Amino acid sequence: MNDVTPSARNFDAVQFLSKYAAPLFLILLILVFATLEPRFLHPLNLFNVLRQVSLSGLIAIGMTFVILTAGIDLSVGSLLAFAGLVAAYVSKGGLDDRFAIGASAASGNPLIFAVLAAIAVGMAGGALQGLAITKLKVPPFVVTLGGLTAFRGAALLFSGGGPISGFGPDYTWWGQGRIGMVPVPVIIFLLAAIIAHLVLRYTAFGKHVYATGGNARAAALNGVPTGRIILLVYVISGFLCGLSAFLLSARLNSSEAVAGLGLELTVIAAVVIGGTSLFGGIGSIFGTVVGALLIGVLTNGLVLLNVSSFVQQIVIGVILVAAVALDQYAATQRQAQ
Amino acid sequence: MKSFRSKLLIPGIVAASMLGALGTAQAQDVTIASSMPALEFPFFVHMQKALAAEAANIGGISLIETDGQNQTTKQTADVESAIILGVDGIIISPSDAVAMAPALQQAVDAGVPVVTIDRRVEGVPGILAHVGADNVIGGEAQAKLIMELFPDGASIVNLQGQPGASPAIDRNKGVHNILDSMSDKYVFVAEQTANFAREQGASVTEAILAGLDSTPDVIVAANDDMALGALQVVQEQGLNIAILGFDALPEALGSVRDGGLAATIEQFPGGQSSMALNTLIGYLRDGATPEKLILLNPIAITKDNIDQAERLGEID
Repeated sequence: MNDVTPSARNFDAVQFLSKYAAPLFLILLILVFATLEPRFLHPLNLFNVLRQVSLSGLIAIGMTFVILTAGIDLSVGSLLAFAGLVAAYVSKGGLDDRFAIGASAASGNPLIFAVLAAIAVGMAGGALQGLAITKLKVPPFVVTLGGLTAFRGAALLFSGGGPISGFGPDYTWWGQGRIGMVPVPVIIFLLAAIIAHLVLRYTAFGKHVYATGGNARAAALNGVPTGRIILLVYVISGFLCGLSAFLLSARLNSSEAVAGLGLELTVIAAVVIGGTSLFGGIGSIFGTVVGALLIGVLTNGLVLLNVSSFVQQIVIGVILVAAVALDQYAATQRQAQ
Repeated sequence: MKSFRSKLLIPGIVAASMLGALGTAQAQDVTIASSMPALEFPFFVHMQKALAAEAANIGGISLIETDGQNQTTKQTADVESAIILGVDGIIISPSDAVAMAPALQQAVDAGVPVVTIDRRVEGVPGILAHVGADNVIGGEAQAKLIMELFPDGASIVNLQGQPGASPAIDRNKGVHNILDSMSDKYVFVAEQTANFAREQGASVTEAILAGLDSTPDVIVAANDDMALGALQVVQEQGLNIAILGFDALPEALGSVRDGGLAATIEQFPGGQSSMALNTLIGYLRDGATPEKLILLNPIAITKDNIDQAERLGEID
């Protein structure tokens, strides 16, 4: 390292930054928080952060597929609320004892039905939007903006506005339980991330997702079934919404119609901080996991340091823009050389 | 590697000093975490400020203030962080009675005493105490004031809150508890929901007044917003009706002072805050075991006793 010329070293730094801006910033944040508040590194706290990240992180994985095709899914928070209520309804076998918690919480239907119901609602919601985008040629932003309103309305209508609470221990284990020290949602999140990574990197479908987002027309000319790819990414997004909805209701022992308000913004922020381009074709699951962790670590660390919650929101907003600006700067530098 | 390290360290130190300046770092003997469901609502900001003021008043308390940002998941994360920080106690107004139970159970299991204010949590038996106001008694206070203002009887329009919401049910129950036993003197000529909303308070009042043969004596509303909406209509039509609100919001207090609303109900949210803090501190410092349920007595605020209202200072 000592004998390289200054210009060569600058070149290296820019390359390094362009590729690893988000992970570097994550490491920096962890160092800062660990220095200022040693309890940040307490294993229990780290697993808390991971569990908090898991639920929005799962949805961010689905969002990555969507954004890679140059789409967007604004409906995720509403779909999460709706799917969670359906899971709760199925688990309790109706609305008759919707508030019963504790010993009387014994479920009406087996757990697997509740899980499948949440996932089915998520996938159906995703498919519906995917069809509207591909068949009716309505832009994704508009379709999923409609979904954001409509699924929230469906959730409120379905539940009459109130929560559905109190599940059996086999249900809540999925949100509250641990295997060893590791919370169950964290394991599911990591498994989902690994599978998604493999799918995107090593399957024809994954290559088609990148191709569709990179240049849809060229991809179609090269025989990529872009319509089917676009439909599928919204189904994947819906599937992960449903899964996350189940885990969230298990974590809180309750499903509520107001769950996931504004979640789409957190999720999109995680994907974008992770380096996925909103114009499609560029990005990775690794980046999204890092982006989700970055937001989770930042929120947790600022609370541990007792920073005013109003200031927290400003800090997160500034970092979102700064992370992308850095990424852009590094990219243009790289192109210039 | 050396240059890489220093590149990391410099922004690290800058960020560290920035964050240090933002946080509070006093040497205190008791650390309390407060958790409000949503500081975007002035009601909770008021509770939070009262808590901070009382903490400064008692002394030796380091207060960690968190904001659930109207999301149960955020408030859960706040409680988890408080446990990690090893706080001596938590004062919380839960965003949801059931969904906040797992996190608060974690706190109780970790040996952190928890006091709930304003809203309760269900299914966590280890909660140290709940401090709140009884909405039924608040409704009864409205009814008693009506009897005081109209000893010979009155015709009453009742603007109810959002159907199904517990404050709406309890406040309505309180009004009826007192007046139903004297139904020959006090007659409810109309009872409608206006969903706690000001514009509906106005439109529902308009509809009711149009349908009544004679002007009612009283409009009793389950919150200030509906009362202020009704007042708008009553003033437009130049009628003389006593209007009673509920919550003692600054705007309603201003209206009471200026002769608009006849009264509003004060539930002392700030008083709940300081009561909760004193309860927790008493337990931590003196080992005093508190009552499980501490309810503050709501009172009717009229022009005569407006100086008793908590938020009078917020109006000029």
